[in-house]
Amino acid sequence: MSRFSETLIAVTLAVAAAGTLADGRYTGVGRPALPAEIRAWDIDVRPDFKGLRPGSGSVAQGEETWEAKCTSCHGSFGESNEVHTPLIGGTTRDDIRTGHVLSLVKGDAPQRTAIMKVATVSTLFDYINRAMPLTAPKSLTNDEVFGLLAYLLNQAEIVPADFVLSDRNIADVQARMPNRKGMSTDHGLWPGAAAAQGGIGNGGKPDVKNSACMSRCKSEVQVASLLPGYAETAHGNLAEQNRPVGPVRGKDTGGKAATEARAAAPSDNAAATKLAADSGCMACHGVAGKIVGPGYNDVAAKYKGQADAEARLAAKLKAGGQGVWGSLPMPPQNQLKDDDIRRLVRWILSGAKAQ
Amino acid sequence: MADPMKIRASAKDGITEVKVLMSHEMETGQRKDSSGNLVPAHFITEVSAEHNGRQVLAAQFGTAVSKNPYLAFKFKGGAKGDKLSVSWVDSKGDKRTDEVQIA
Repeated sequence: MSRFSETLIAVTLAVAAAGTLADGRYTGVGRPALPAEIRAWDIDVRPDFKGLRPGSGSVAQGEETWEAKCTSCHGSFGESNEVHTPLIGGTTRDDIRTGHVLSLVKGDAPQRTAIMKVATVSTLFDYINRAMPLTAPKSLTNDEVFGLLAYLLNQAEIVPADFVLSDRNIADVQARMPNRKGMSTDHGLWPGAAAAQGGIGNGGKPDVKNSACMSRCKSEVQVASLLPGYAETAHGNLAEQNRPVGPVRGKDTGGKAATEARAAAPSDNAAATKLAADSGCMACHGVAGKIVGPGYNDVAAKYKGQADAEARLAAKLKAGGQGVWGSLPMPPQNQLKDDDIRRLVRWILSGAKAQ
Repeated sequence: MADPMKIRASAKDGITEVKVLMSHEMETGQRKDSSGNLVPAHFITEVSAEHNGRQVLAAQFGTAVSKNPYLAFKFKGGAKGDKLSVSWVDSKGDKRTDEVQIA
């Protein structure tokens, strides 16, 4: 099918011949392939239509075959996007005239159809003949393939509705393919010599040049940004959702309770205890029991599980309060910074641990 | 004038199956072009099908219908050689009618 395959086949044959001659161990094993076997295997059709077997099919015949064997996946008009991307669509009369699909050049096509991309009509013939229908490849007769191709070309408005495609006029169709000039070989995917030296590609030069990270690479990973705290628990505790085996561990984002526990981590507890003592709280409040005001553990138990407890207690610390635990008022604690108030409240709610 | 529709109608056992592929941009009016300007809405609003002058389908289309809409339906009656015509009207008042013979 491709231009270089001739060379490949020649090389393969030469190697095979040399192998037979040089290696006498396999004499008597196997036999030369029969002409019929080679004929059944050698079905490729090349851009110059070498390999195309004589035959013909009309648009109307193709339509019948199409409805029977192709519609379920490709849609009646080759338009369906349900199983595969559409075959037909996206080409204009201008494209047929210029030979290069404009929406591919401009890059504004929302989706590329087969007829937009394919440069050679022989490819369509070869592919249908070789691989279609997907459930029964190579089951179509030569004339059926001609008919189906005629039908598709008609749907793409390349040939009229009364067209009969045959091995004699398929070259004329090639001259009307919408993307016949759209194929580029100037890239590293083509093997062999560069175009300047008689080959077809660029000599195998890769299209990407991975040079930026080959020197002065960073040796350490630096975390540049983190998910903000309020978003961390959006999907629950990630650690619980990952298997304990394998390389991936979810981060412990254990929800609100975990956030509070982290905020009053053991090292923080000592600092909070000292803060409470320094600020004079301990004069009236004990940790476990009532002195003048309620014990911290009683407070924590009362507000346990209330989402707004932190904010409410913080407000109460700042403004003072009376009546919740008894008639003796707690004076406003204006001397405390807001940060310190929140730290104290979190410490109290998390159990007012000394360590 | 928009491109012609592709229509296929086939009658079998007194039921005619019709498949239509309309060629239309179906702009919703929500899309922006590369310079950030809204692309004005332009979509098919009404589709109808007539068999020998008798209406067999009337549909209202909106912006939720895709570009180049595909429509398939069946109706009772219709015989080989009958005329079937499909028409649409779009939001700019453009119209298109195409006719086929039932196969």
